[in-house]
Amino acid sequence: MAMRELVTGGAACAVPGSSSSSNPLSALANALTGSSSKTRDRIKEIPTSTTTGTEPPFYQDATAEDRLKALPGADFDHSFSRHPTLQSSEFLRNFRTADQNGFADAWEEIHRSGPPPPPALLDHRLPPPQFQPTLEGPPQRVLSNFLHSFVGSSHGGIPFRPAPLPALGLSEGDKQCIRDRSSIMARHFFADKNEDFINAQVNALLSSLDIDGDVQAKGPFAGRFRELEDYWNESQGAPRHGPPQTDGWVSEFSQHRIEHGDPNAWAHSFEQQHGPNSWASEFEQEQRLVSAADQMRGANISNLAAMEQTRMLAHTLAQNNDPKFQNSKFLQFVSKMSSGELIIDDNQVKPAALSSPGDWATEYQQKYTAGPSWVDEYAGNQLSHGPDQWANEFSAEREQRPVDDQWVNEFSKLHVNDWADEFGRQVGEGAFGESSADNWADAYDEYLNEQVVAKQNSDASRGVYVFSDMNPYVGHPNPLKEGQELFRKGLLSESVLALEAEVLKNPDNAEGWRLLGIAHAENDDDQQAIAAMMRAHEADPTNLEVLLALGVSHTNELEQAAALKYLYGWLRHHPKYGTLANPELSDSLYYADVARLFNEAAEMSPEDADVHVVLGVLYNLSREYDKAIASFQRALKLKPQDYSLWNKLGATQANSVQSAEAILAYQQALDLKPNYVRAWANMGISYANQGMYEDSIRYYVRALAMNPKADNAWQYLRISLSCASRNDLFEACDSRNLDVLQKEFPL
Amino acid sequence: MPVFKTPFNGYSVKFSPFYESRLAVATAQNFGILGNGRLHVLSLPPAPASPLTELISFDTADGIYDLAWSESHDSLLVAAVADGSVKLYDTALAPAQNPIRSLQEHTREVHSVDYNPTRRDSFITASWDDTIKLWTLDRPASIRTFKEHVYCVYSAAWNPRHTDVFASASGDCTVRIWDVREPGSTMIIPGHDFEILCCDWNKYDDCIIATASVDKSIKVWDVRSSRAPISVLNGHGYAVRKVKFSPHHRNLMVSCSYDMSVCMWDFMVEDALVGRYDHHTEFAVGVDLSVLVDGLMASTGWDELVYVWQHGNGPESTLTKGSVSCFPFFFFFVKSFCIFLMEVVRLEVKA
Repeated sequence: MAMRELVTGGAACAVPGSSSSSNPLSALANALTGSSSKTRDRIKEIPTSTTTGTEPPFYQDATAEDRLKALPGADFDHSFSRHPTLQSSEFLRNFRTADQNGFADAWEEIHRSGPPPPPALLDHRLPPPQFQPTLEGPPQRVLSNFLHSFVGSSHGGIPFRPAPLPALGLSEGDKQCIRDRSSIMARHFFADKNEDFINAQVNALLSSLDIDGDVQAKGPFAGRFRELEDYWNESQGAPRHGPPQTDGWVSEFSQHRIEHGDPNAWAHSFEQQHGPNSWASEFEQEQRLVSAADQMRGANISNLAAMEQTRMLAHTLAQNNDPKFQNSKFLQFVSKMSSGELIIDDNQVKPAALSSPGDWATEYQQKYTAGPSWVDEYAGNQLSHGPDQWANEFSAEREQRPVDDQWVNEFSKLHVNDWADEFGRQVGEGAFGESSADNWADAYDEYLNEQVVAKQNSDASRGVYVFSDMNPYVGHPNPLKEGQELFRKGLLSESVLALEAEVLKNPDNAEGWRLLGIAHAENDDDQQAIAAMMRAHEADPTNLEVLLALGVSHTNELEQAAALKYLYGWLRHHPKYGTLANPELSDSLYYADVARLFNEAAEMSPEDADVHVVLGVLYNLSREYDKAIASFQRALKLKPQDYSLWNKLGATQANSVQSAEAILAYQQALDLKPNYVRAWANMGISYANQGMYEDSIRYYVRALAMNPKADNAWQYLRISLSCASRNDLFEACDSRNLDVLQKEFPL
Repeated sequence: MPVFKTPFNGYSVKFSPFYESRLAVATAQNFGILGNGRLHVLSLPPAPASPLTELISFDTADGIYDLAWSESHDSLLVAAVADGSVKLYDTALAPAQNPIRSLQEHTREVHSVDYNPTRRDSFITASWDDTIKLWTLDRPASIRTFKEHVYCVYSAAWNPRHTDVFASASGDCTVRIWDVREPGSTMIIPGHDFEILCCDWNKYDDCIIATASVDKSIKVWDVRSSRAPISVLNGHGYAVRKVKFSPHHRNLMVSCSYDMSVCMWDFMVEDALVGRYDHHTEFAVGVDLSVLVDGLMASTGWDELVYVWQHGNGPESTLTKGSVSCFPFFFFFVKSFCIFLMEVVRLEVKA
């Protein structure tokens, strides 16, 4: 990193010339030459010791070594702790007043031609300052006058009288500053537009200010490199598309932040797939060629392109009918700057003769005497920007697509090939050599396809029940009875095996699947629980217990739509409340409708504990925990022996930040059913939430001892170990070594 | 409605956590693209009809994009400056004696600063150099730099309950949750398809976070289950610049947008838009709610104006109920990151 910043700091860092610089080279250069505005900034901020003899040592240090900036905030202790009494610092403050503000004020005054200075500045203006070094000063002040009077004139209808720009013009740093900031901001303003448009916008503004070509040529492709890495990292988790990842892909051409980050990761994996066939070097060669070509074409093309883009801008602005936007000073500012109504000529700002848009071509010809050849050049330019068209097409298509839950898959299937091919083709015709681009596109295409396949596989795996390998109950004469017996005894893991044997034997046995689902839920394994319950639901779509269990499981996963579906199904299939259900409703379920129906049901038969249970679950879904707690408590009055109800009450209390009460409820559940793994795990969570990590670990370990397959509990355990600063036990946790953990944390 | 005219374009406004009539505004010249910055400390007038008065102001060499009041000293302000510096100001001292500290570490524009509300001795800054930095008052250099985002970080916000936890919103379209005791981020939420400009935690439920995006929407998430947002708030016509949860009501939040409006939302109800304020004539980029006075709001924008009003009785409280809806939004991504809920997150308890 250090090396990169040394070399390229100007690009990645803020603004070497204007107000800040972290680039060691430019800082060094400033210090040596003493000619940049940056150095002057420092001088005015640092009190010099030549005039005083009795300063605190810090200030002498600072003046000797120009260290004020090198030690950020080093003056803090002094001014903070000593104020307001110390005399010498009082003196310094006065000194600084004179030095700092006087300088700035003088600046404002000298260069402010049009509008009056802001009132606050007038208060502490100084007599003619003797510090002023040269006439051409920090250029942004000059520019700000110019920009301001320009904006002001557009507002009040006053004819714009441009102030003469001093010879210095804009420093490279300022140009870069304008360029970087306006391109980042433009992405926010013009969210609806594609990258192409945004770039055009920015370029138009920049070219009007005579900021272009040279700045841009520094690293037009740097961004791509970065994007590849982004893709690599991000698509590990998700093939995601959105600016700046996708659209930004192209725009990064022009955004020259040479931040390669860690391209090795990408390059490495690329090499693993395709062998180290010097992709990188090829790429760099191409890059050099192209940027050289760009430079050769020079500013002519960019100006021309900017002018062309002007029309796009005018078009867009005209499209927005909102009067507020039509009146926006900022948008007018952007518009005028980019439409060439303002030009910088011979270091003088001139309003261009207000000509019809068609004249730009003529003007251009006159100015650059490019003759008819500009058409060719322009065409060439278009070609070299071929990928932009891809961005257009891509965003156009994307906008048309409705957002649905399958969009990623669909997108990948439909568009990945398209754009990769398209890109390959375009770059083949365009500026790049064929081999590298094609390789890249192919590789990326392949990679994305793999991702899609992997994704589909993982989707499929959800909801599929996974059987245990070695099941001693296979061949048992009556595994269902055995499973029920084991479940009653609280031997959950054993009963799971027996029930698996049952459903292997009778795959349509709803009761077998249901009990299996319950056993998994109580064993704190929701994935398997949902999978089993889905099978039970297939076997018997009207089983109320199954519907309720599925509703609860989906509530646990915070999947509102699915939960509502099953809970509503429960109501619809209930012999008593089925009449309440409106068949039309089942297509589009809204939480409010379902909740209303269950409230009606509860009024109908207030003595039915089940209705209160469902209501409690529903209120969990809407996070109305107080109501949920009330519902569960009502149900518990009717069914005090239902351990799972006590657990639900506890979970709800825990979720509404009543962890202490929750522990009491879990205790009730565990008194009724000592092998209730989920309650043990929940108990651990409640202790963890109260900051009692050691206790929480004991409960997690206890739960895991009963069911080592409870993956969630292992995760929770790891978190508690970390919070309790028991990192020494991470290894035991990661290797799932319960013996060590139980010894360390007996309950 | 008390108004204050700033010479530069407004960027951020924050109420003092100590004085109910005090607020500070960060501004930048030339829309923050190039030029100076100024930090204003303003006082509310005794009568609502009169304008705001300025107590003091501080100038900077580059635009100021954000500010934060200290939670420990009533006169201390932290400013996020576009030149990459973070500056501390003591409003009890004259402008000439300020800034009392200038911390120059970020290599690009600093876009947001947030003061830790529970520890009260530290703050975080988010920058366009893709990093977040953690600072304390007693050190001249940052304590830690968090670098994982791959594009500009636009905002970072401390969790209101867990003192070591914060969230960051970035142009890389993700929100990351961090625990300063952990080496890397503890969670990644790829929340929007477009850049995310702001995030804020619910002040009553430490698991709920809101994100504001260039895609014009605000999404509300439960970090315990971040696959899909709890709700999606649509109604802004352009990118949403800031979002802020109410310190007084669990379900309320305010937002401001490049559509020049300030909106108030109730994220728990279907018709989520509670009110829309259209007083700004340029992009509205700063909004805040007073911690000390229920319903007191402030906003600023590029029209160089600062407005302060009581929710519901501002003169321009054109409560236009738009076509606003809250719908479940399905979002797909492969959960292959080690999404590991630290104690950040009150763990999900299963019923």
